[in-house]
Amino acid sequence: MAAVSVSVSGTDRAPVRISKVAGRYLLFDIDDIMHLRRHHNICSVFVGTTPQNPQQNIFMGLPVELMPEEAQVLVDKKVAYIFDDGVFHPARLATLDEPTRRAYLQSLKHEGKMAQLVAEESKKQFVPKVKQGKKKSKASRTEAGPAVEDPVEQETSTVGEKDVEDTIDLFDSSTPASLTSKPKSINNVPTKAEPEGYFVTPTTTSALLLTPTVFPHLPPSPPAEPSECGGLSTAAVTPASVDNLPASYPLYAHLQDKGYYMMPGLRFGCDYNVYPGDPLRFHSHFQATHVGWEDEITMLDVVTGGRLGTNVKKGFLLGGAVTSSEPQTAEGETAGSGDAVRTFCVEWAAM
Amino acid sequence: MSVSDHVRQLAGSVFNNLKHQHDWTQLQILTHSPLDNSPLPRPIISGLPPRRLYLHPDDQIEIIRSHRSSGEPMEEKPEIEWVLPTHLAEKWTLKSFASVFDSLPSEPSPTPGRPKRIILATIHDDSTVVYYFMHDGIVKPRQN
Repeated sequence: MAAVSVSVSGTDRAPVRISKVAGRYLLFDIDDIMHLRRHHNICSVFVGTTPQNPQQNIFMGLPVELMPEEAQVLVDKKVAYIFDDGVFHPARLATLDEPTRRAYLQSLKHEGKMAQLVAEESKKQFVPKVKQGKKKSKASRTEAGPAVEDPVEQETSTVGEKDVEDTIDLFDSSTPASLTSKPKSINNVPTKAEPEGYFVTPTTTSALLLTPTVFPHLPPSPPAEPSECGGLSTAAVTPASVDNLPASYPLYAHLQDKGYYMMPGLRFGCDYNVYPGDPLRFHSHFQATHVGWEDEITMLDVVTGGRLGTNVKKGFLLGGAVTSSEPQTAEGETAGSGDAVRTFCVEWAAM
Repeated sequence: MSVSDHVRQLAGSVFNNLKHQHDWTQLQILTHSPLDNSPLPRPIISGLPPRRLYLHPDDQIEIIRSHRSSGEPMEEKPEIEWVLPTHLAEKWTLKSFASVFDSLPSEPSPTPGRPKRIILATIHDDSTVVYYFMHDGIVKPRQN
């Protein structure tokens, strides 16, 4: 099922940019993440989830951290490329010409303004509610009459009011003083304008890649040269092979090729949890463990793996690349990349 | 010599366990491959369990569907199974498992399209035997 969608979608999208930061492979763009999840059965782990339970929906946050295997598969399929952000960032900043630089700063400012607008919007919605609440509580207190009021209650209520005021103050203090001068500063020359809006710390360098024409809200500026990134990309794009690739890569690539979705297998003591479809829709079928072709497997491990798998309604899958020159007799077990992988599934025989 | 002796005794123990505890019939210990009569990497027991041991989930869906429409009761026909005797303390490799599968014919299976399977019979020193299916390739689990 996944194989079909891969062949359809492969052409209509520019390669996804994987940011390599401190040896980790990160995706910052939600559209890229959705694309890879939909068309290349890559889901991986959202930052913020715990390693044992990478599917806690409420903790999912960007970026997505790819496993090295996933990065390698994507690079091999030519649907993504890896950028070393540490190299790219200073190099790109040094070569920015004036209009591009201005456009970039402008885009940051715009982002800050948007953030501020959103914050104010939510504050507007927040404040009246609180005031109403205060009025109500005061009204109810007066209705109840002064006789009932004891010192303890009074104290708690004032504390509550104080808390509310504090939160409001908190929001107020974070609003820059230059907010009122916003309409004026838009007319200013962008580079010399006072910092306005929230100051946004860019979380990714991808905005630097964009030409100013991408930002429709900015005044039109001369388009960047076509060879803009030509010299840089050779320096920053890392070689085609991922450096910290684990030994289990052949098994991963084999399963990936068959359209399975893999998640880290820490929860079940294996290398990968293997899902027959998107993990949001399916339970996993296998707990896959990589074993070298001639690595020793203790029968106790096979039995315990099979036992655990059966308990959680999964198959215990052992697999690894065939490294010898023996002829392949198992039907359909030769991977597309040429590396043959043999897999075996263990489940309880119920007898 | 002692190694093959050990293996023969393992096969004997599993044979007896299948015969007397699990009521298997048509039991025989094979030392040579039914494919080309070459010696097997290790003796394998073939036998007929009293009831069907394995049903692929897709076949199960098919059977349920066809029997719901026809209204007939489902009959369970036992299949000949291959049993590989092992000891809990042994060490195997993917390569040795592969050689066992490669020496077996895919023939006595009623569903030829399915991958080969064997039953791993693992003996512990206290003569307990546990049985696990091992499939050659990616075969989805029966319950999920």
